[in-house]
Amino acid sequence: MNTATITGKRMVNWLLEPLAYAFMQRGFLAAIIVGLVCALVGCYIVLRGMAFFGDALAHAILPGLAAGYLVQGGAGGGLFWWALGAAVLSSLGIGALSRAANLKQDTSIGIIFAGMFALGIAMISTIRNYALDLAHFLFGNVLGVSAADLWLNAALAALVVLLIILLYKEFLVLSFDPLLASTLRLPARALEAVLLILIAVAIVVSLQTVGVALVVAMLVTPAATASLVSKRLPRMMALAVLIAAFSGVAGLYISYYANVASGAAIVLVCTAIFILVWAAQAVTRARARASYSASAANAD
Amino acid sequence: MEARHHHGDSAYAIDLSGVSVRYGARLALEDLSLTVETGRRVAVVGPNGAGKSTLFNLLAGVLSTDRGRVLIHGHRPERHVCIAYVTQSNQVDWNFPVSVRDVVMMGRVGEIGLLRRPSAADRQLVQDSLDRMEMTHLAQRQIGELSGGQKQRMFIARALAQQADLMLLDEPLSGLDLKSQDKIFSLLDTLSAQQVTLLFATHDLNLARERFERILLLNRRLVAYGPPDQVLTSENLAAAYGGHMQVLDTADGPVAIGDMGGHHEHGHDHGEAHG
Repeated sequence: MNTATITGKRMVNWLLEPLAYAFMQRGFLAAIIVGLVCALVGCYIVLRGMAFFGDALAHAILPGLAAGYLVQGGAGGGLFWWALGAAVLSSLGIGALSRAANLKQDTSIGIIFAGMFALGIAMISTIRNYALDLAHFLFGNVLGVSAADLWLNAALAALVVLLIILLYKEFLVLSFDPLLASTLRLPARALEAVLLILIAVAIVVSLQTVGVALVVAMLVTPAATASLVSKRLPRMMALAVLIAAFSGVAGLYISYYANVASGAAIVLVCTAIFILVWAAQAVTRARARASYSASAANAD
Repeated sequence: MEARHHHGDSAYAIDLSGVSVRYGARLALEDLSLTVETGRRVAVVGPNGAGKSTLFNLLAGVLSTDRGRVLIHGHRPERHVCIAYVTQSNQVDWNFPVSVRDVVMMGRVGEIGLLRRPSAADRQLVQDSLDRMEMTHLAQRQIGELSGGQKQRMFIARALAQQADLMLLDEPLSGLDLKSQDKIFSLLDTLSAQQVTLLFATHDLNLARERFERILLLNRRLVAYGPPDQVLTSENLAAAYGGHMQVLDTADGPVAIGDMGGHHEHGHDHGEAHG
């Protein structure tokens, strides 16, 4: 046997080893689902400049999680609905507060975000294992994903993909030119509400994989990376999904072998890809400029 | 929602009576009454803050009146999908990942309806609109790669795809060279021939006088509306612009000279500094 096949075999073993564990299999599937949902919804977040909103909404979920935890005593899948409820309430609350109090949107986001997050911490601090439970919510625990969680996440992911496809042209008009949306008499308020709920669903689906504190990276970074190299939205969405799903899988391998927290590893892969693409683009541009000025100089 | 082209018996594309709009304590429009016949091409002129954009927002049905009544083809504007609003091109994100064809197709979205995809007829209408604006060779471009004139032509193509009967153009020529301006005007000529009513906000009084059959002179109130030689009198211009404008009476009517738009304070300050 030559060295090439031995290295090849080692590589395959290296890749297959984590898959021997059922919890890792579920972790990989969960990471891919999160990548899909966050990247798709994230394209609209990036294009509409809603990154702060996304981050705030992720934090505003905490009291929902805490309430569910206190009521159910930490039992599995039910937490999910508490989190979704808190997210939907907060996102609609932010819109209502902006209109009612005549505040700038980022101001009302700040008020609701900080208030809800503080409420969540206050509630969790009444629990005995305060630090441990808080860390679990903040940073996720992808290895704790159950088969039932996975099915629920898959169903929600299917719903998000379906709505993004069905409402594609409406979301496109609303995001590109809100004035056109209103002269075309599109139901802008309802569409905005659907988009906010989609963002809330994406965040809740990501909770176990990356946690409250890092969700915004899954929403923003893959979509932003894709936007650097895309001239049309469908391509941006496809690229963002690929980048996010790859980051999820690569991040879990790093987490398994280097013993790094899984959420952090996934987000770091996303960030590294962004930096690579951005740098490659900067170099290509500089080269194009240099060859242009060189040919201009030759022409003289 | 009102079906397209079922515009009732009203002969007027625009019918305003006693319209007032207030932003906080400031009156943006006061007691404006006006009728515009279908198919007219109207230049809307007046100093900054005269209420041109407010008027357009009212007509587009994206702003409501504090007092008075707005009718477009006999119905409230919110019930129409035939009103196209072409704003200044700095109001969208030019890095947005859409092609020229994507943007023109956006004009069809209201008609296509929720949850449905564009039909062959929609795609044909988009292609025709691109052809008429001479944009077909640019259809696949990302919108940020267009020149200023091409950007405006794209928005007019979108208004065509929308099959608009009323087009509101808010300073569509700002920053364009003469050749692009001429191109846009020859395209507007074909629209006027099809009974499309055009309202065109501009700071350029000479352009208004040369290229339009009607001028609407606005300074929060209606100063005058009618053919150019009846509207652009020294008296009306003084009423609209105050002391910041000179009007010369020439053989072919009054010609306005002076600072228009954002700089009408300049001469004033200068005079005081040396006074």
